[in-house]
Amino acid sequence: MNIAVGVDDVHEGELVNTSEAGPAPKRIVVSYGFWIFLLSDIVMFSALFAGYAALARATAGGPTGSQLFNQQTVAMETAFLLLSSYSCGLMSLAINSRGYFGTFLGAGVTFLLGAAFLSLELREFATMIAIGATPQRSAFLSAFFTLVGCHGLHVAVGLSWLVLMMIQLAMRGFSPVVERRLHCFSLFWHALDIIWVLIFTVVYLMGVVP
Amino acid sequence: MTETRWDVAPGDRPGISVSEQGTFSGFFVYTIGLLLAVILTITSFWVANTSVLWTPGVPAGLVVLAIAQMGVHLVFFLHITTGPDNTNNILALAFGVLIVLLVLGGSIVIMANLNENMAAHTEPMNLQMQH
Amino acid sequence: MNLLGKLSWSAIPVHQPIIMGTVACIGVIILAALAWVTAKGSWLYLWREWLTSVDHKRIGVMYLVLAMLMLVRGFADGIMMRTQQAVAAGGAQGYLPPEHFDQIFSAHGTIMIFFVAMPLVIGLMNFAVPMQLGVRDVAFPTMNSISLWLTASGVLLTNVSLAIGEFAKTGWVAYPPLSELQFSPGVGVDYYLWSLQIAGIGTLLSGVNFVTTILKLRAPGMGYMRMPVFCWTALATNLLIVAAFPVLTALFAMLLLDRYLGFHFFTVNAGGNAMMYVNLFWIWGHPEVYILALPAFGIFSEVSATFSGKPLFGYRSMVGATMAICVLSYTVWLHHFFTMGASASVNAFFGITSMLIAVPTGVKIFNWLFTMYGGRVRFTVPVLWTVGFMVTFVFGGLTGVLLALPAVDWQVHNSVFLVAHFHHVIIPSVLFGCMAGYNYWFPKAFGFKLDERWGAASFWCWFIGFHLAFMPLYVVGLMGMTRRLQHYDVLSWQPWLLAAEAGAVVILAGIVCQIVQLVVSIRAREQLRDTTGDPWNGRTLEWSTASPPPAWNFAMLPHVGEIDAFWAKKQRVHARQERSVQRREYEPIEVPKNSPTGFVTAFFAVLTGFALIWHIWWMAGVGLLGAAVTLLCFMFRVEDEVEIPAEQVALFDQSHPVEISL
Repeated sequence: MNIAVGVDDVHEGELVNTSEAGPAPKRIVVSYGFWIFLLSDIVMFSALFAGYAALARATAGGPTGSQLFNQQTVAMETAFLLLSSYSCGLMSLAINSRGYFGTFLGAGVTFLLGAAFLSLELREFATMIAIGATPQRSAFLSAFFTLVGCHGLHVAVGLSWLVLMMIQLAMRGFSPVVERRLHCFSLFWHALDIIWVLIFTVVYLMGVVP
Repeated sequence: MTETRWDVAPGDRPGISVSEQGTFSGFFVYTIGLLLAVILTITSFWVANTSVLWTPGVPAGLVVLAIAQMGVHLVFFLHITTGPDNTNNILALAFGVLIVLLVLGGSIVIMANLNENMAAHTEPMNLQMQH
Repeated sequence: MNLLGKLSWSAIPVHQPIIMGTVACIGVIILAALAWVTAKGSWLYLWREWLTSVDHKRIGVMYLVLAMLMLVRGFADGIMMRTQQAVAAGGAQGYLPPEHFDQIFSAHGTIMIFFVAMPLVIGLMNFAVPMQLGVRDVAFPTMNSISLWLTASGVLLTNVSLAIGEFAKTGWVAYPPLSELQFSPGVGVDYYLWSLQIAGIGTLLSGVNFVTTILKLRAPGMGYMRMPVFCWTALATNLLIVAAFPVLTALFAMLLLDRYLGFHFFTVNAGGNAMMYVNLFWIWGHPEVYILALPAFGIFSEVSATFSGKPLFGYRSMVGATMAICVLSYTVWLHHFFTMGASASVNAFFGITSMLIAVPTGVKIFNWLFTMYGGRVRFTVPVLWTVGFMVTFVFGGLTGVLLALPAVDWQVHNSVFLVAHFHHVIIPSVLFGCMAGYNYWFPKAFGFKLDERWGAASFWCWFIGFHLAFMPLYVVGLMGMTRRLQHYDVLSWQPWLLAAEAGAVVILAGIVCQIVQLVVSIRAREQLRDTTGDPWNGRTLEWSTASPPPAWNFAMLPHVGEIDAFWAKKQRVHARQERSVQRREYEPIEVPKNSPTGFVTAFFAVLTGFALIWHIWWMAGVGLLGAAVTLLCFMFRVEDEVEIPAEQVALFDQSHPVEISL
């Protein structure tokens, strides 16, 4: 990087104000860009949440949330996703200390827990569809399937991304590009768990409160 | 070249260089975060199912617990702090939260208002001015 | 199982001569362009230097080319509507049947907002912001290319709807239940939705790119309060893009799910709520108009300061007003549906916020006026557009304050009074601003200025034509004329609509003048050559480079000590306090590598969109797979940068001497 520092107005030993220090290092730039993208994703979820909130009572004579939601399933899904966030955090520690075994182990546990979450969710959807509670049945069900399904789709994309990152790690080792991408993945994965907190609270728990 | 103190990247722990972030202290941070999140989750499920609490207060309680748990995630998993090197990250987050509140809050208020005014009435509509 | 879904030969509108004539014209133009490129043997050059370029300057130019082309199409739609309304009075039916007229007004709005105004502002931001910040490129150059080509994909899909199938007949906002499958069973709404979803992804990525660039990539010494005001408005704009476009994505996804999978978000039965569409649409829609206006305001700031020879008046209040507009724009959206049935208190709240948002804009107007006051104003073409904006936009904004009163709005909602209002604000701000920016930065991009006389002629035609075209609409709107009428019975409206038609013809003359300006300037480019890199005696960093700049913008990143650092340096040099050009040691520079990722992804996006519109499921799968593979190739690429050797940097500097550099 070519930075020319003027000699006249900066004193030796004085810390340069960050906002005047020039272009930031790539790790910061990439992470911040991904952070902004995540915020845009959260805004998108909020629009879906708004739709759900507006339609939560529009059951059109069909099944309601309290009739459909199984709290045990939701509790298990929550546990799986939360633990996968934890294992992702441990994976980040391994990445920072460039430990291959720790990274692959953390990634594997994260993947398994995430896949377990998804399979539970898919089974839940399948059960609902089998009894006629399809998204085409009512506006409430359309909103439910879209909101929860969109989150599940993000989880699926995340799992695929994790697999690709592990392949890339095996091929390229801990190069700066790989480290930055793995860091972005961990931001993504934690954000997904944050959204799930809102989903299980607003959709499931409030859905079963009479 | 004089020393430059950069902002911290979102998700990195402030004050420690990246290579030093793989130590035991990091492990404790994540573990404490997990424990707090578990406690908050169990509490949420309990609040939703118990008959001990005043019913109209349950949704508010659930929201508070959810916000608390999101905060736990932000602080312990994403290492968001209030330090000066985290300012950009916090500002971005605050902007996002503001937009989410406007979208959600605005939509809920507006849709409730519209639904109330525009819902189909079975009895003859009261055409007199509403005060 | 039909291999081509709903697609068949009957999709081509052979029985509609106007459309077929248009398609034939467009086809001839495209073929002529392809033939010309082939004759010059430039395909490899085009591919290497432009289509796969990740250079922000080239991407900016391509956005502008896209926008100008679509301006012609969008304007054609507009003048067709004016002509129809000028003649279809009393019992006359005009020349456009309702089915066609409905598509025209829908396409006009969609194209003008999404494919003219957005590419104009994004293109100008692309071109200028990195140079004004004193850096070499945006934060994510390849993603920048993807954004451009996804926007182009949206453009292509919308234009394909002319030749194959139809466009939406719902208006550019596509309210349900009209836009639901039950009442719009054709492919028109699907063309609309998929074009905009694809282009919307591109725009969102641009937003992320520019927020990161402005906040994290600036020249050393350029703290926040030393950034040019155009960069502040770019920041506010891109924050709004990041905050608003995801809502549109979610909304269109919901409507698509209704149409494709039978969901019930907005349907009339099974609990759907069409009002929620309107609510979510305008949560996006209002920030959108500020996304369009803010960069234009930034351009006016730059132009007024440069051509007055004075610093911008009230820098801090300008920044404050910009960020205030950014936040406030997210608090007014209900004024687009005052009449939908909310109670008086809700309407009053949003009426008050809508009036409040005029305040920071007023602050900006005063700042521009005070910038010019006391300065030696040079009435170049950019300044003409700026002054034209000031005298026009104030009145347009005032009609907006009128409309902010729910009681007034109830009288004129959905009349042509409203149509007059929003053209009265968008055209002076966005169009005049981008024309000013186009004339202002053209020499930097291409190395020669645009012809002043034809530029002035185009301005006056636009200015006069605009007023002639839209002021009658206020009158006839107050007389009761609803918008989007294919014919009408009230004969007393016709004289006004004839005047409006005349105005549209004058605007056409303005557009012709702009085309002539470009042709004349290219032919006279040696006389108009910019040899110093600083044709306007500018204030900001982009004028310290050669015209056109090298790919790497600056051989050494400038160190910035104050606002308008380039201007300050020039003053010190002229006062003999400093030497103009310092001897420098050149170092090799790494620039991002060109990549076909953007272009190829867009190709698959078009394929997927077209396939989904026509229900050709296997083709949609192929398109998605192709896009995924392209992204995989990008993910696994080995080299992402090219090193420019120091000698090449030195050679460029020596063969393109600039008078003063930082």
